[in-house]
Amino acid sequence: MSANLRSWFRPLLAMGAAALLVGAGSASAEDNVLKIGVLGVMSGPAASWGLVNKYCAETTAQWMNEKGGVQIGGKKYKIEIVAIDDKNDPKLAVSGAERLTQQDGIKYIIGPNVDTTATSIRPVVEKAGAMHFPYAFQRSLYTPPASNAVLGMIASYQAGPIIYKYLKEKKGVKSIAFVARNESDPLNQRTEGVQAAQALGLTISTSKDTYEPGTTDFFPVMTKVVKTKPDLIVLSGVAPADAPLLIKAGRELGFTGIFSTETAQDSKILAQVAGDKADGFISVGGASTPAIRSAYMEEFVQRYTKHVGEWNDEAGTKVYALEIILATLQRNPKAMGNIAEFKKTMPAFDMPNPFVKDPIKLKYTGTKYFQQPRQIGVPMVVNEFRGGTFQTLFVGAVEDK
Amino acid sequence: MRRFAVIAVACAAVYFLAIPFAFRGSPYILSVLTNAAIAAVISSGVWLTFAIGRINIAQGAFCMIGGYATAVLTTRYGVPFWICLPLSGLAAAAFGALIGWPLLRLKGVYFSMISLSLTEAVRLAFLNGGKLTNEASGIVGIPGPGAVSIAGIELIPAFDGSSPLPFYYLSALLLAGTLLALWRIMNCRIGWVFRSLRLNEELASSMGVNVAAYRVLAFSLSSFIGGVGGSFYAVYQQNIYPASYTVTDSMNYMLYCFLGGLDYVLGALVGAFTLVLSFELLHALQTYQTLIYAGIMILAMLLLPNGIISFPMFHGGRAASRGGGR
Amino acid sequence: MEDLLGAISLQTLVNGLVTGSIYALIALGLTLIFGIMRVVNFAHGQMYMLGAFAVYYLYAEAKFNYVLALVLAIVLVGIVGYLFEVLLFRRVMRVATREENTMLLAMGTAILLENGALLAFGEKQRGVPPLIDGVLRIGEAYLPYSRLLVTVLALLLVAVLILFVRYTRTGRAMRALAQDREAACLQGVNVDRLSALGFAIGAALAGAAGGLLVTVFAINSGAGTAVSVKAFTMIMLGGAGVIAGAILGGLTLGFAEAIGYEAFPGSITYLIIFIGLILFLIVRPQGILGKPER
Repeated sequence: MSANLRSWFRPLLAMGAAALLVGAGSASAEDNVLKIGVLGVMSGPAASWGLVNKYCAETTAQWMNEKGGVQIGGKKYKIEIVAIDDKNDPKLAVSGAERLTQQDGIKYIIGPNVDTTATSIRPVVEKAGAMHFPYAFQRSLYTPPASNAVLGMIASYQAGPIIYKYLKEKKGVKSIAFVARNESDPLNQRTEGVQAAQALGLTISTSKDTYEPGTTDFFPVMTKVVKTKPDLIVLSGVAPADAPLLIKAGRELGFTGIFSTETAQDSKILAQVAGDKADGFISVGGASTPAIRSAYMEEFVQRYTKHVGEWNDEAGTKVYALEIILATLQRNPKAMGNIAEFKKTMPAFDMPNPFVKDPIKLKYTGTKYFQQPRQIGVPMVVNEFRGGTFQTLFVGAVEDK
Repeated sequence: MRRFAVIAVACAAVYFLAIPFAFRGSPYILSVLTNAAIAAVISSGVWLTFAIGRINIAQGAFCMIGGYATAVLTTRYGVPFWICLPLSGLAAAAFGALIGWPLLRLKGVYFSMISLSLTEAVRLAFLNGGKLTNEASGIVGIPGPGAVSIAGIELIPAFDGSSPLPFYYLSALLLAGTLLALWRIMNCRIGWVFRSLRLNEELASSMGVNVAAYRVLAFSLSSFIGGVGGSFYAVYQQNIYPASYTVTDSMNYMLYCFLGGLDYVLGALVGAFTLVLSFELLHALQTYQTLIYAGIMILAMLLLPNGIISFPMFHGGRAASRGGGR
Repeated sequence: MEDLLGAISLQTLVNGLVTGSIYALIALGLTLIFGIMRVVNFAHGQMYMLGAFAVYYLYAEAKFNYVLALVLAIVLVGIVGYLFEVLLFRRVMRVATREENTMLLAMGTAILLENGALLAFGEKQRGVPPLIDGVLRIGEAYLPYSRLLVTVLALLLVAVLILFVRYTRTGRAMRALAQDREAACLQGVNVDRLSALGFAIGAALAGAAGGLLVTVFAINSGAGTAVSVKAFTMIMLGGAGVIAGAILGGLTLGFAEAIGYEAFPGSITYLIIFIGLILFLIVRPQGILGKPER
């Protein structure tokens, strides 16, 4: 294999130049820009999870930048959102986290969305002295010795017991079945759900049935579940794309009981795909049902719709992350470059919840579950789908102690 | 030959000395290069399967096996990484030999399609592996490689994660080792047997070559390399899940070879570095990143169907004609 | 084993037939393209997805008549297939020294379509109202009318294709090309025209499957890969390049899935299917009806 000596240097040079360009990508520190990272799944079948995180952060950032930026410690900062798609691949989550923390010097990252990606970046964020706000429920992320993660929404094991209890008492539910998406998060959710159901004395008619991510035909799996004749079918960890199809299949197979889930869902998809078959479907929302929205939230919805083209109810839970991060930084400006300060501020922090009409406080909760306040105290809004939209059934809160 | 050795040393000097020095303040760039290097290692395995005329889209399965082998051995049995590394390669190679023996009878696109299913099958196997593999939750908290000392003298320091350099150098050494091994293989008798298999298996068989055995040998070597790559990733990222290697990953490893040029040992290296780096560079164009990536692939197939290295620039002007017949 | 036999209830068989018919339609398109051009259309799942979105926008958003929407969707995806062949595949096949290059090109087109769709259509799942409401009872089994309709239409399209391939001149020329390329060329078959047409029809069939299924299931821009992997499984099983093989492969996979999900826990089902496939291919590498490799 002959090779011209000089001709080999050209590709090397090209590679070197490429590497330099990558290096140059990191912006020289401009004084009044605060970078916040978003790391999540933004393509493939679960794209809406990460994309909604990104869109919510971008909408809030745009809104604040229009007003001149966020005032932290006497200076006004423009917010810049740096988003990376991890495609639900732990390897890409790690390199994305490395890029955000090392290349962009980011200390606060929203995401990732599932257990595998969230746990995979733990060593990276700990080493870099950064904090992340995942939407994955695995307890090990939030319990000591871990302390760099803050759960961005209500965990299934927090909502589940409350929902089952409500249904047992108000709707006479006695038997319960579980269908789970075959991934770490949903399987954990199912395990927790089963424990909660047993604690309430409900009969578990079946809890072994799962479906692969990417399934569109739910007749086979629902056939098995419906056959056991439960009063309530819990859809553990199902994506907003799956729920309407599961419900439709169940109804077509003759199921007349109740469906519920502990993840956020989208009303438009439910209406389009399942129609009135989804009436009575119980899910967990954040702040987006019209009944409890504040004017601030209404404006957010409008801005989100303008930015993205279409509203997504999942945003009801995901709207909180950036707001509370910025508010905490405002409370303690030293936390901008030092997460130890952020952690110090968290236990006593509270602010009026800007997204709901009722004057409730928004703070960091979760001590009962994680022995430390590592969860955004999003109100637990339990919704029922009816006539094409979500109606608020009741609003609870995560028990704190 | 001499000329090539000089170039090789020059490249090594740049990669081992100049680049770490130039980027000592940007650990992220070094980690991108580390990723590219290991991707090149894994893809070189795929390259070897191509050398016997099969398009291998199953490499992800072997990375998975190697990765889990290392994960289980280090977390549950405390086996030092340096022993796990070759053991993981052997585990993957053993599986490769076992499954390769029957599967390599298929050729062309048939083999490719079944290899695609193999990646999925292995992923599902690990997903349902019970206590051994921890199923969907994967194995986390995998410790970094420990120190190696002989007679009190520390030869290799412990990888404590404070600097990206140890992994950077390890990946570079693995890459250099793999390429050297491949080059030696292809230039000795075994390599010529492989070439003959690629050109015409029946003819080789009629000349007395034990076609089946050589095929399995090549595939096992390829799997060994995949297992080693997976083992590296397991300690580099400190975790492994069934979600770590999917059909997409297997396709990527195959892609790197193709793009670089299947006729050259360095093909995998060129392809891997080009695609991994260009993917990073495109980050500035976030939403359009994958779209442009696809565009690059399509353009490359239209304009450089035999890979980047086939570009005349790399041959001092001479067009390459490497005897890879239809 | 008892579990397996007990699993074969009437509902399972009905599920299998419905799934299998759609799968047959998908497999048919892929095998057509492979038979004529020896190209594995990696973007087949994405073409299915395009067909589904086309029907969504035409029927659910623009309120066209469903049949019209379906026909337009089929034509649209067919045009995409035609363009791919003429602009991309034809060129690559002329220049490349090995046939696997086209596989790589196909992968590139798959990524292109999927991400283009994500940008154009957004990330949300889309669905259309069912064509007919109501559920038919067959003994213990439930068969929604919408699924029945989709099954019937799918089988109809399969039948139309078979007739086309057996009785029209173009169709017979395609079969000739698939059976023996050289001999067909010697007979004066216009390879370029047939390749383009073949790709277009293959793509159109995938689009048709998508357009039909969007009424029963839903669609999102990331649905392509899973469909492609299943399509490959089907044609490997039934025999690549053979029309009857595609139908057989599709039906077999449909039934295997239905029975498997019934008998085994969810994620083991596909593991067993893959292991079964690998074992089967070891014994008979060309698939049930395929021709042995030369």
